[in-house]
Parts: sequence; C-alpha cells; structure tokens
Amino acid sequence: MTTTGLHRPAPGSAPPPAAATIRVRAAAGWRLARLYLVSRRVPMALALLAALGALLWCALHWHWNVAGGAAAKEFIPLTIETGAAALVAVTTYGPFGESEQAAGRWLPWLRFGAAVGLTAVAFGALATGAAAGGMPGGTPALLRNFGGMVGVGLLAAVIVGGAFSWAGPMAYLLITEGALAHRSTTPWVWPTRPPHDRGGVICACLVIAAGLVLITVRGPRESTPESGPAS
Amino acid sequence: MTAMTAPVRNRVPRVTGVVPLNAARLLGVELRRNTMPWILPLIAVLFWFDSYRPSAGTSPLYGLRTFWNMGQGHTIIDFGPFVAGVAAWMGSRDGRRGLADLVTATPRPRWVAQLVTWAATAIWAVAAYLICVGAMFAMYAHQGVGGTPPWWWVGVGVAAVTAFSAAGFAIGAYWPNRFAAPVAAFGGFLAMFLSSQTGFTHQSGWALILPTNSYDDFTGSSQTDSGIFYPWVPDVPIARIMLLAGMAIAALGLTGLPARAGGQWLRRAAAIVTLAGVALAGTAVGLARTAHESVEGAVIPALHDAASDAPISYSPVCGSAAGTSVCLNPAYGRWLPDVTAGLAPVLAEVSGLPGTPARITQVAASYPSGGSGPPVPMTFGGDPLALRLQLGILNMPGACGFCGLVTAQQFTDQIRLLFAHAFVGAGGAPGSPVQQAVQAALLQDAGIPIAAQPTLMRHVENYPGAEKGPATGPVYAAARRLAALPAAARHAWLATHLAAVRAGQLSLGDLP
Repeated sequence: MTTTGLHRPAPGSAPPPAAATIRVRAAAGWRLARLYLVSRRVPMALALLAALGALLWCALHWHWNVAGGAAAKEFIPLTIETGAAALVAVTTYGPFGESEQAAGRWLPWLRFGAAVGLTAVAFGALATGAAAGGMPGGTPALLRNFGGMVGVGLLAAVIVGGAFSWAGPMAYLLITEGALAHRSTTPWVWPTRPPHDRGGVICACLVIAAGLVLITVRGPRESTPESGPAS
Repeated sequence: MTAMTAPVRNRVPRVTGVVPLNAARLLGVELRRNTMPWILPLIAVLFWFDSYRPSAGTSPLYGLRTFWNMGQGHTIIDFGPFVAGVAAWMGSRDGRRGLADLVTATPRPRWVAQLVTWAATAIWAVAAYLICVGAMFAMYAHQGVGGTPPWWWVGVGVAAVTAFSAAGFAIGAYWPNRFAAPVAAFGGFLAMFLSSQTGFTHQSGWALILPTNSYDDFTGSSQTDSGIFYPWVPDVPIARIMLLAGMAIAALGLTGLPARAGGQWLRRAAAIVTLAGVALAGTAVGLARTAHESVEGAVIPALHDAASDAPISYSPVCGSAAGTSVCLNPAYGRWLPDVTAGLAPVLAEVSGLPGTPARITQVAASYPSGGSGPPVPMTFGGDPLALRLQLGILNMPGACGFCGLVTAQQFTDQIRLLFAHAFVGAGGAPGSPVQQAVQAALLQDAGIPIAAQPTLMRHVENYPGAEKGPATGPVYAAARRLAALPAAARHAWLATHLAAVRAGQLSLGDLP
C-alpha cells in the first residue's frame, strides 16, 4: 500500500460532515493567527499602545506643549503618534527566520492582517486619547500623520529589519521637527501641511500603501546587525 | 595518596596585569560585535539635516551659528534617542536570547561584563558625536565663522550621549524585550521635548540645568558676542555635565543591583554607585538654582572662575565713514563696508554739530539692566565723544536663520535709523515729539523718505515705539517742514537748538 490514494476516503466510510470541517479549519486558522500574533509580541504591543493613548490624553488635557508657535504645539502629539507607529513596525520582527518562511504559506496574509489590524487598533487608541480635546488638526490630521508614519515604519522594517524599524519613524520625526521649525511645506513631510491638504494625504497614502505591500510580499529583512532570537 | 590525604594547595594569585588585558580583549570583542555602528550613518545624515544645515543659514558668528544646534540642544536630540534605543537593544541582549542564566555562571561577574558592553556602546556613540561636531566646526572654520567655538557645550553633548546610552542600556537590561529599544528612544525624545516646555520659558533657577534651555549664553541677543568679546561662561555647562554624568552613573549602578549581577559586595558597590550618581545629579540641580544673570551669561557662584571673565584681546579692523574712524571686532570685519556705508550719510549730515562722535567703536552687546529692558544698540559716551555700537544686537546683512534674509540696503537703513535715534537723545524710549520730528528730518536727508520710515521702524528688532500707521500727524508734518529747509539753514538751527532737543525742552511749535 502506498500513500497515493489516501486523499480519497476509503470505500464505505462515512464522509465527515461539512460543518465539522469548517469548524476544524476555523479553529486551525484562529490558532495559527493567535500563535503568529503571540510570536510577534502583539499583546505587549497592545498594552503599550493603550499606554500611548493615555499619554496622548494627558498631554492634551494638561496642555503639554513645546513653547513656540502653532507648529511647536503639534509636536508632542506627533511624537506620541510616531511612537505608536514605531511599535506597529517593531511587531513585524520575526524570531524564526527562514524556517518560518519555508513552512508558512499563509505568512504574507498574516503579516498583512497583523499590520492592518494593529494599525487600526493603534489609531483607535490614539483617537480615544485625542478625545481630551485640542488635538492639532483633529482626527483627519491624526489619521493622515499616523498612517503615514506607520508606512515609514513598515518600509524601515523591510530595509533594516523589524527589530530596528523604530529608527525609521524616529528619523522621520526629526525631519518633521526641522521642517516645522523652518516652515518647510513639502507634501512628503505631511505633518507640516494642513489637515485637509490633498498633497499631504496623497503622500501619506502612498507611503503606507508601499509599506503594506512590501511588508506583505517581502516581509521584514531577516539579516539584521544582530540576528537571532528576540523576545 | 588519596584525595582525602592530598595537601591543600592555595590558589596561585593571578597576575594583576591579566585582568586589564582580559577586560581590554572583552571590550575589543564588544566593540566589534556592537550594533551601534549600524545606526551611525543614519544619525550622521540626520545630524547634517537637523543640526548643520539650519545653522548654515545664519550669520557667520559662533554665537548665532551654534544657537540652534548647541544652544537648543539639537545635536543631543539628533544623537540621544537613537543611542538610547541601540543601547537598550544591547542591554537586553542576554535576556532576549535567553542567555541570562548561562552568562551568570561565567567567572566574570555579570555586572562587570554588562559594563563592558555598555562601554563599547558608549564609545561608539561618543566617538561618532565628536566626529560629527568636529566636522561641523571644521566647516565653520572653513567658512570663516567669527569667534571661538562653545567647547563646553560640546562637553555637555558628550555627557548627554553617554547619559542616553546608560539610561537606554539600563532599560534594556531590566526589560529584555523587542520593545525596549523603541520605548527607550521615544521616551528619551519625549523627555527632551517636554523639557523644552520648561526650558524655553524659564530663564533662571533650576530650569537652566535642562540641556534644551538656551537662555544662559544663547539668547541670540545680549550674549551673541560670547566667544568674541569675552569667553563663553562655562558655569551652566559644568552643572549640566554634572547632572548628565550623575544620571549616567545612577543608571549604570541600577544594572548592578539585581541578584544575578554579582556577589553581595559587588551589589553593595552598585548601590553606592547609584546613590553617588543621584547625589551628583541633585547637586547639579542645586547649583543651577543659584545661577544669576550677568552681562556675559548665567553665572553660578560656586563654579565661577573670575579669571574666565577677562575680555578677549583683539586688534580691531577699522574704516572711515565721512571722515570718522569706525572700528569693529575682527569677527565682524566682513560687515565693515556695510557699517561705514550706513553711517556715512548721517555722519556727513551732522558733521560739526555738538555731540557728533569723534570715532565709532564696536562694544559687546548687552542689555542695559542685566537682562531686563529693551536693548539700546547705539549709545554715546567717552571723551573724546565716541559712538558705541552694539552690532551683536542687530541682524547683520545676509541670511540670518529664522529672521530670513537681511539685505545690505535694509541693514544700512537700520543703521541710519538707530544713529539718528541715538543722536537726538531718545535713548531706549520712542523720544519726545520734537526728537521724533528731528530724527525723521535727518533720515529724510540721509536718503530714507519720511513715508518709508514707519515701515523701517517696524522691521527693526526691538525698536522702541515703532509706528503702527502711515507717516501722518503733527510729528511728521513738523518733520516735513524741517526737512524742507535748505541744508545750511537746518544745520544752523540744529547747531543752536540740539541741546534743547536732547533735553526735551522744545515743543513741535518751536520747530522752524
């Protein structure tokens, strides 16, 4: 006997009920997703994102501002948004390397789902924090700035690896700081533009789209300066 | 012979030189295997973009060139968060890899090995900081920037980078997690900016200790001439170095407190080190509270060395404006033609009148009452009478950073306005109506139409009593009458009445 015909049920045996098959597949899918999220430390990321939402609420409620003009007042909320984007990017770091890529055909979809889901949760946490009032630019600016920052983080994960992907949003934040201080208004530095500015929105959308596509298709770079397991 | 009867041999003591050698080897390994070099190219690019590039658009004087990057701490902001993040990654290495138990069993105490890892990280970071700042100062020197660099602020930057690396390392050691690096980086960044909230608004007291507080020697006005007329006052930077060193020591001491760090004695030593760091930082804050403002910058009595107050000697560069000698500090020498061109028409106009200066000399910029009150860029004094010029208060021709571009014409008009204002005796006030009218007539004759004068006054920084509206009203009507007189008649009237004008004894009706 060989394994050739094993995909067919043995003659006379009862076929498994369709509902049971769906249940088994759903359970396996849920388990796969849960294990993926745990391996990326998503629960810890969710806790940190909630903390950032609370921090944003405190900053807006107690008017933590850098002294200066209107641009300076944007800066602490922007820093918190960037921190949240960095957390989303760092969750892309995978501890398993090549073996995971060889074994998991669902990996691209898991990467995509985790990035989109975590971005949505992070936006929710920040929007809740922004409910304290006084968010510069309101929800549209939050969505644009945070979305674009996540895109920068995902691109950084593709280029330098997930573990150091926080450096991308951090570098972008410093560029934004310089642009705000010197009144530069290129749409590629979208936080400097008004909330409903079309050029800024387009650039932010392009960056997050590129980040999502690349993180889905290619995944984060595996050979980081210090490869190996990470918690 | 059995093991029971074998003589006990005392352990041969190590050769003392072996320990430093092994430590040096370990440091070499850590330097080679460190992650910091990977992030340095990104930091270098950001340093160029955020620290050097904005400064290149300011006047070529060290006080102004380094206002943004050293005074407001942008070199620290560019380095610190990244250094903290990478140091956290290095500090969490053993924990992330599940090696903590394994390395605890090695002969070398865990704390010592961790300190070597931190030292390698800090060495990379500090070396990169010094290279970046050195390259920036070399560029400044190549561009002929006037004055001397603020070396003490470089020391503050080195201490800050070290403190960021120590704090990040401690976070990583206590929380070996992939999120330790971003939390350390963004936490450091947020702390720097939150300190700006206090630092930009509190001009004295403990807030001077904050590295982002630019008030002490970097106000952009009264202490613009630091490193040109007098040395940079090192008191506040010394206190900041103490604070940052204390924070670094305390953070490193904390990494030696857990049980796995080493034996009991070592952990006690770590506790003492931690307390010493906290004490050093607390002392620095206490010293900063005693700081008071002086003409040359913030002075902390306990740290101040009176010898550092000695003015910097220099050979002035001199020119001539309408036959009057004009001498400037060589750091301002490039603007001598603009200054003489600005002064020549007004000096020619008032030549022979009482109170006309015999010479014009530049003095260090300062506020009249130790930091409060409006600045007075031009004053008369001395015997023979001299015009003392505080160019450090003015926006010089060329790019001037946040104030945009100052053209040579704008600068010369500014010089003429300030001269006329000082000549009629208005001082730091808008002046009496007669003084304003005489000033307007003098300026009209020097080539600045009366209609354009209110605009000019609005654009001169700190000008007292700048006109809000057009050049109308009784003052300007009197000014037009005076300006319409023949030059000889006007000169004769001024020769007779100038003392009364300066004393504020005339009314507009007394003008011809």
